[in-house]
Amino acid sequence: MTSQTSPMDAMILERPEERKERADKVDFKMVTFSLGGKEYGIDIMNVKEIARANRFTYVPNSAPFVRGVYNLRGDIISIIDLRIMFHLPVEKREEDALESLLILRVEDHVFGVIVDSIDKVVGVSRTSIQPPHPIFGDINVKYIQGIVENAGKLYIILDIAKIFSPKAEKEEHPSRYEPPSGASIPTEISAARTGTARPAAADAEMTAGFVKEGLFSFRHFAVTSVNETWFRARYKEWERLRAGTDLQLHEEADADAFLEGFLSPYSGTLWGADYMDAVASFLPDSDLRSFNVWNPGCGKGYETWSLACTLRRKYPQSRVKIWANDSDLLAISMAPNMVFDASAVPEPYRAFLVKGMNGWTFDQAVRDSIFFEFHDVLNSNSLPPVDLIVCRDMISFLAPEEQKRVLADFQDKLKGTGLLILGTHETAATGAWRPVGSGAVSAFAKA
Amino acid sequence: MRVEYINPFVESAFNVLKEVLQGEVKRGELYLKSTSIPVMGVAAIVGLAGDVEGRVLFDMDKPTALRVASVMNGEELKTMDELVKATITELANMITAQAVTKLHELGFKFDLTPPAIFTGENMEVSDQDVEALIVPMETAQGKLEINVAIRERG
Repeated sequence: MTSQTSPMDAMILERPEERKERADKVDFKMVTFSLGGKEYGIDIMNVKEIARANRFTYVPNSAPFVRGVYNLRGDIISIIDLRIMFHLPVEKREEDALESLLILRVEDHVFGVIVDSIDKVVGVSRTSIQPPHPIFGDINVKYIQGIVENAGKLYIILDIAKIFSPKAEKEEHPSRYEPPSGASIPTEISAARTGTARPAAADAEMTAGFVKEGLFSFRHFAVTSVNETWFRARYKEWERLRAGTDLQLHEEADADAFLEGFLSPYSGTLWGADYMDAVASFLPDSDLRSFNVWNPGCGKGYETWSLACTLRRKYPQSRVKIWANDSDLLAISMAPNMVFDASAVPEPYRAFLVKGMNGWTFDQAVRDSIFFEFHDVLNSNSLPPVDLIVCRDMISFLAPEEQKRVLADFQDKLKGTGLLILGTHETAATGAWRPVGSGAVSAFAKA
Repeated sequence: MRVEYINPFVESAFNVLKEVLQGEVKRGELYLKSTSIPVMGVAAIVGLAGDVEGRVLFDMDKPTALRVASVMNGEELKTMDELVKATITELANMITAQAVTKLHELGFKFDLTPPAIFTGENMEVSDQDVEALIVPMETAQGKLEINVAIRERG
């Protein structure tokens, strides 16, 4: 094996003495390269060639780690930036600088990956490859085939087939949450206007139907399986409260009275320490490098700031990014520049406050983690896959068919291990979700 | 679209229009739109690149375009000729450039592409996966719509 030299070996030959030393037991060769200052290797059998190139043709709407396509002597191949894929730092380069490319072949697919620099070909014995350890390196352990030491350097061997095979995406996100506690959820969204649909139904059912209609027309609150449980309980209470008087809702004030108690704790204000801790307890414990959050219906932004601080406490090392949207322009316009009265802010937030010109604001790191956007959740968006969606008490105020659409969109945007947090009295009511929360935190994982 | 981007566009559109048209300018209610948007007849487009990607579209009907160009050139223009097109293109450029300057002061880096102008009947514009912010502007010369679609680069 060592006497043969492929074109690539000729280019970057090992030092002869090294080769001699292992000549008898070398049965695994890898191309080594560096990524974010660490040494990695890829099985040479997967490497077609090595190239240097730049000016890749940008492909719109592709994943961030796809740098574009490249014409390799007539074949169009996609170029993937491994550093972006694994969230490693990317060195700034001159505009025209050539990138180091490894052209890989996995089964029938040929594509190029960009790395910081390509080193050489190293031959080792298969038996010296050790299994990866979870704490090792910056790359998810699933993608690592093993670790091997050579000439005093430790190389992480990447499992190219796992990274780039189409099935990898599914295996990448095993469920981290406990199975559902057996609670069954209704699967169908019931029509909001049962009262009118079934004139022959009992009086009580009729009145409940009218109340539902009132809620929708006065406050655009649609009773569906998302909030049916709460509605039933509240309706019983309502009957007791209004005993002997008119149960129906005649004006907005009536609707507001009925909806009293629906909103989740700390709506329109910063979350208290108890709720922060409760939310944090449902988040995965591992220290992820980046943590993406979607916070639709953030309103004036109190919820988003609370969330940002909760995540900063939970994941001090991670790069947290929160996309917070609301379709109320007035409310969200104020959100980025919110000023607080330090004495009124709960204790856990104080560490993140700095004194600005007009009062206390959150520090730059917290501010930088949030994108406040004027966005309607019913329109399309360009969010990347997210780890967490916090959408408290917003879905209930959409029309029934819109609720379905938004929940489907959540399903689409959430990573396999991701978590959805709805309002305390809301539930994600299709078979696609399973409840994992408790108490005031209504949390769901993908089923 | 990020909240921080909205005001610079609204303000610069307001300021530039007021200055070049020398008259009252009224801002309509802002709203969001997804999928395809009909274009009124004359559309100048300026692309944005940098930290973000997207485009700004200035949309008006033909008579409005002629009236706006007439005021800006100080002479009566009656047909959609090169001068009118160049004038509308320049207007789009002025507004976008001023907005981008303001955004730069706020720490956002945008680059502009040279503006292009489209004219025709029954046109519409679609942006995949981006919703557009519509800023309607009422002037003495007619109604203009500024249609901003920007998204962060992933």
